[in-house]
Amino acid sequence: MIRMVAVRLLLTAPILLGVSIVAFVLMRALPGDFAQASAGTSTISAEALDTIRRSLGLDLPMWQQYLGWLGAALSGDLGVSFTLRTPVASEIFPRLAVTAELTLIAGLMAGLMGVTTGLLSARLRGMTDWVVRGWNSLLLAVPNFVIATLIVLLFGLYFPSVGIFNYVAFARDPSGNIASLLLPALSLALTVSVTVSENTRAAVLEVSSQDYVMVAKSKGLRPRAILRDYLVRNALTPVVTVTGLQLAALLGGSILIETIFTIPGMGQYLFDSIASRDYPAIQAIVLVASTIVLLMNVLVDIAYARVDARVSYD
Amino acid sequence: MVEPLLSVRNLTATFERHGAPARVVNGISFDIAPGEAVGFVGESGCGKSVTARAILRLAPEGSSIAWGGHILFRGQDLLRLDDAAMTDIRGRHIAMVFQDPMSSLNPVMSVGAQIDDMLIRHAGLSRRAARRRAIELLDLVGIREPASRADDHPHQFSGGMRQRVLIAIAVSCQPALLIADEPTTALDVTVQAQILRLLMRLRRELGMALMLITHDFGVIAGMVERVHVMQHGAIVETGAVDPLFAAPRHAYTRALLAAVPRLDTTAGPA
Repeated sequence: MIRMVAVRLLLTAPILLGVSIVAFVLMRALPGDFAQASAGTSTISAEALDTIRRSLGLDLPMWQQYLGWLGAALSGDLGVSFTLRTPVASEIFPRLAVTAELTLIAGLMAGLMGVTTGLLSARLRGMTDWVVRGWNSLLLAVPNFVIATLIVLLFGLYFPSVGIFNYVAFARDPSGNIASLLLPALSLALTVSVTVSENTRAAVLEVSSQDYVMVAKSKGLRPRAILRDYLVRNALTPVVTVTGLQLAALLGGSILIETIFTIPGMGQYLFDSIASRDYPAIQAIVLVASTIVLLMNVLVDIAYARVDARVSYD
Repeated sequence: MVEPLLSVRNLTATFERHGAPARVVNGISFDIAPGEAVGFVGESGCGKSVTARAILRLAPEGSSIAWGGHILFRGQDLLRLDDAAMTDIRGRHIAMVFQDPMSSLNPVMSVGAQIDDMLIRHAGLSRRAARRRAIELLDLVGIREPASRADDHPHQFSGGMRQRVLIAIAVSCQPALLIADEPTTALDVTVQAQILRLLMRLRRELGMALMLITHDFGVIAGMVERVHVMQHGAIVETGAVDPLFAAPRHAYTRALLAAVPRLDTTAGPA
């Protein structure tokens, strides 16, 4: 187990290196650069553009720029933002905390909704099953930014007293902060809940027809104990896996949801940084987000082994 | 004549499938006396397993099955009990051992925990007392080093060992009747004999009645006092084992007996 974790962590290094190269090359393949982006629409002389580029090291060959960045990153320095002229690290980690909180709330909502609807669907079948599956298909078909827009419209038009765009920092007002994240979290959670719900349903159905459930009944255990110890515990494994991976993806920040609800998280930061071609910021965000995804993968594997004793990584 | 422990009268079982009911047990009646061992023999699909499960009112998940007739256990009609009362009977008074030990244990629970939950439920033991008793039971069914093995999970046991664990679960609350539905079919021949001997010994020690279901006359011989031969959801012949073996009256019984391979005859069916 410990060996598995060590090996998996070692393997993340080459993956991160690859990701950083791809991100680096892709950004520079985009038309325009920071110098032009910062000039905006105003006409600016070629000499002035060159001065800006030279001052930021953008005139160097690409491999030199990359190696420079890599060397700094390896020593823990994520660079200085072009636009803000402040260290990227001081900008990215507070935003990561916001996104992490949003993801946590969304994950709890999705887990609660998904497991409940999936269980009801699998246990009651019939009409409930139809309703749940119809609802899931609907949610799956509608992208989360549409859901977010609908939520904004609904509350903006009919419940204007509920502030939609009033993000409050946690340090200033913890309960207000959580309240301000509920609606954005809901728009993320609805989509994730489909995955949880469908996987829970399928897993519970599969487990229900297993012999050991019949044995559990023959033992005279109460229905609630059978549900908890025999159905849910066995059905949990695949659900943990898919949910973990979905949450990992959310931790990278949801550009659309954070932009719509004006939440200062990773997604919004990425959006702003791409718009202004703030290379160090983009590199850092990609690096942090992919590290999170890789770590979540390892965590999912560990969780897998914890839930199911048959799983061993030796 | 002692009062029967179990008295089945005119039992029917009907699967409902898209409006076309299929009757798989066709009005069968039999008695089992306290401590008696009774065999049920027949080919697969003859309704013997459905009969066994009807006694515990167990239906496969997702299927809808309707039972008719009476199943009197100590004078109480099990088919007319409410669900909660039936749950109190299962495991406590009537227990069951199933065919496939490989899939009958919960893979994510330790085998000890799967005995514990039954003891906690029916005997009202504390978790600690239940575990002590579970270890005794594992010892009783012949699991070596039961104290450490109790924490192991099913995948760490062989098929024969798992069936022993399942038998330990079934006898944990000292039921009055143990139903064994093809308990050795999924096992190696050498292991089969061990499991049958174990069942015999436990039956004697615990004074349980045994309802042994099998398609194999070889299993029945020496295990039970009386045999019911089943075909097409009905009992076609009943008798004490030895006379029935020596002089089967029903053509189907003769055919079943002829199907048992013998060492003392030359090739071909008798």
